Amino acid sequence: MTNEDTRGRLRRRTVLRGAGAAGIVGLAGCLGGGGGGSGDGESGNDTNGSGGGSDGDGGGGSGELEIVHWWTAGGEQDALNALLEGFEQEYSDVSVNNNPAPGGAGSALDTVIKNRVLNDDPPSTFQIWPGEALTPYTDADILRDIGEDVWGEEMRNNYLQGVKDLAQPEGNFVAVPINIHRLNNLFYNVEVVESAGVDPASVEETDAAPMAHQTKAPWSTVQLWETVFIGSEGADAFLDLVDGNVGDHEEAVRQSLSTLIDYEEHFNQDAGSISWDQANSKVVEGDAAFIHQGDWAAGQYKASEGFEYESGWNNVAFPGTDGVYSVVTDSFVFPKSNPSPDATAKFLQYCGTVDAQERFNPIKGSIPPRTDVPDDEFGPFLTQQREDFGNSESQPPTITHGTAVDPETKSNVEGAFANFIESWDVESAYSDLESALGN
Amino acid sequence: MLRLIRSLVERARRERQQGGHRQDGEDRVRTDGGTVDPAVGSRSRGERAAATVRTATEGEFLRSAVFWLPPLLLTGLFVYGAIGWNVVISLTDWNGLGDPEYASFDVEMYARMLSDATFLAAARNTVALLVAFTVVTLLLGLFLAILVDRGIRFEGVFRTVYLLPMSLSFVVTAIFWAWVYNFENGLLNELFRAVGANFLVQGWISDPQFKLAAVVFALVWQFSGYAMVVYLAGLQSIPTDQFEAARVDGAGTVKLYLRVIIPQLRASTTSAAVVLMVFALKAFDFLFVLFGTNLGKSVDILAVMMYREAFGSGNWAYGSAIATVLFLMALSVIGPYLYYQYRRGDL
Repeated sequence: MTNEDTRGRLRRRTVLRGAGAAGIVGLAGCLGGGGGGSGDGESGNDTNGSGGGSDGDGGGGSGELEIVHWWTAGGEQDALNALLEGFEQEYSDVSVNNNPAPGGAGSALDTVIKNRVLNDDPPSTFQIWPGEALTPYTDADILRDIGEDVWGEEMRNNYLQGVKDLAQPEGNFVAVPINIHRLNNLFYNVEVVESAGVDPASVEETDAAPMAHQTKAPWSTVQLWETVFIGSEGADAFLDLVDGNVGDHEEAVRQSLSTLIDYEEHFNQDAGSISWDQANSKVVEGDAAFIHQGDWAAGQYKASEGFEYESGWNNVAFPGTDGVYSVVTDSFVFPKSNPSPDATAKFLQYCGTVDAQERFNPIKGSIPPRTDVPDDEFGPFLTQQREDFGNSESQPPTITHGTAVDPETKSNVEGAFANFIESWDVESAYSDLESALGN
Repeated sequence: MLRLIRSLVERARRERQQGGHRQDGEDRVRTDGGTVDPAVGSRSRGERAAATVRTATEGEFLRSAVFWLPPLLLTGLFVYGAIGWNVVISLTDWNGLGDPEYASFDVEMYARMLSDATFLAAARNTVALLVAFTVVTLLLGLFLAILVDRGIRFEGVFRTVYLLPMSLSFVVTAIFWAWVYNFENGLLNELFRAVGANFLVQGWISDPQFKLAAVVFALVWQFSGYAMVVYLAGLQSIPTDQFEAARVDGAGTVKLYLRVIIPQLRASTTSAAVVLMVFALKAFDFLFVLFGTNLGKSVDILAVMMYREAFGSGNWAYGSAIATVLFLMALSVIGPYLYYQYRRGDL
């Protein structure tokens, strides 16, 4: 062994020792930063940031507003961009960090937000259904009361009561609803219905399915069921039901489930293997006459060439639900432990203005919760919906879209219907619903 | 891992003994360290301690620590630490967005499973999926491997064709199979209609009778290529002499494979089976894309139920308990395999 060799080996060993030490230091770094969760680790070693409540403003002076939302599909994304554009014009000092968590109806967003809240690292604001969907957040006291900062007199006067109720599930305002979709619509293809005569039963004489529907995932059937229930029993009975008094409505619940079984005979045969938008395009193409959906379905009609409102398609309130406007709404909230409290307050205030709702809603295909937004930007269909909303007697929440029951109950109701759309068994569906909704 | 460490320690000790020999030839007494022995009384305690430190720092065990310690700590923290914490959470009553309480632990969540019809259905489906999927995939993979190994033309092309589905994401294949299984215009039903087998036209993924089978079929389609590749490697490592010898002895093709070749593929079978079973436990993506989080009793599996309970309902403790059950199932699949490999000396 030559001298040089030994030295070479030694040097290599020294280097390796150094590398190992660095590795261990790196590991220690990981351990130290672990408490901060998945943040960007920029200043990982400050005092854990668990102070929460009081302005954790520190580095947030620049006021970057991080918005987490699930509006990433075509029209939704355009609507959000229009909203953010308006916001940036109004508050040019705030820079916006647009951070979507794509996934229909918040399937991915929910996971992201829960993880971040548990790690005490919530974004400035995030999209969420108001009402009972907020239960986990209000129970854990995570949302700030924005009754004074955001919900001014002027704003309160211009929201309808049903929507204001959703913004204050525990009696104080914690959310700002920004849009409203109607759930209890029955859309139809004018041509198919006319060619079959008015009698829906004779629709079977054409090749088209009487009613387009999807049963691949349970949610469409849940929303059909709640609408059928409101149609036959009224909104008050529905509110009582979601309050937990299932036993009082046993007969009515069974009846509504049987009605679904009657409808099932009229569904398109491939209901079990398609998604709701595939079902909806059957109406567009004339392969189905009717569909029950929220008015987001109209977006697809609008995008179809030569399929115009009133001549190609039309809608009525779902049978029995005249005067009811079942509200599906999205809102933004103010997490207490907030990286940018000032910017968040500004954004929520902006969401409650006529300007914001006039920019956002026509593109989204929804109506503004504020009743004083001018009609000009809204097409004939949405203007009609707005009129119905203004004249509605009640604005009940929905199970399917989170506002009527807490997330666990919603999941259990969906579980009940996941079984129902396999077996179409009223008996077991009723007992599943009873244990899901009952208290 | 443990074996490696043990062998390192062993080697370090051996080296230390040799060092002792060279120094004073009294290693027989010195190696047992702690006890006081008059034979070494001449050496002071301090000297002995210094010697121990010296041998310890110079021993390969410690010097090699640079290599095995960081990965050991990382794995320990992020894998075993996480599993341990999951078990701890499953013993609490944690739900919602508050903090878990570690004051009292109980097995309430596990007791709840036994009376939860949803859990029992999901567990049954998970096991059914696991067994059916693994067995069918292995058989199909073996069959394909034998066909491809028969010295056909374009062997490489066929190999790629069969293996390709595995490279596709579950997200893609789930949507793809939803089309194939469509009642009205899906490929499968169209095929049956074309040959006049109308009684076979079914709502494959809506009828609870067929739902699970349809899912298993789709997964088999995706993974049989993998099983084929594993078997192909096994087949090609068997020397051609054996084929020839069996032929000379008058064995037909079927007998040749059944008696001579397949028995030698045990290692391939085990390793493919383990991978497939673990995939079956993770069929989450496929079902999630196909049906969402609420699948209905006929096809609900534990992985989806775990997600639903934890992230849908915020029942973190119950979700963790289900995760623990899943972990134990995976362990019971992979444990015997590891033991088998260990006994063969492959590990």
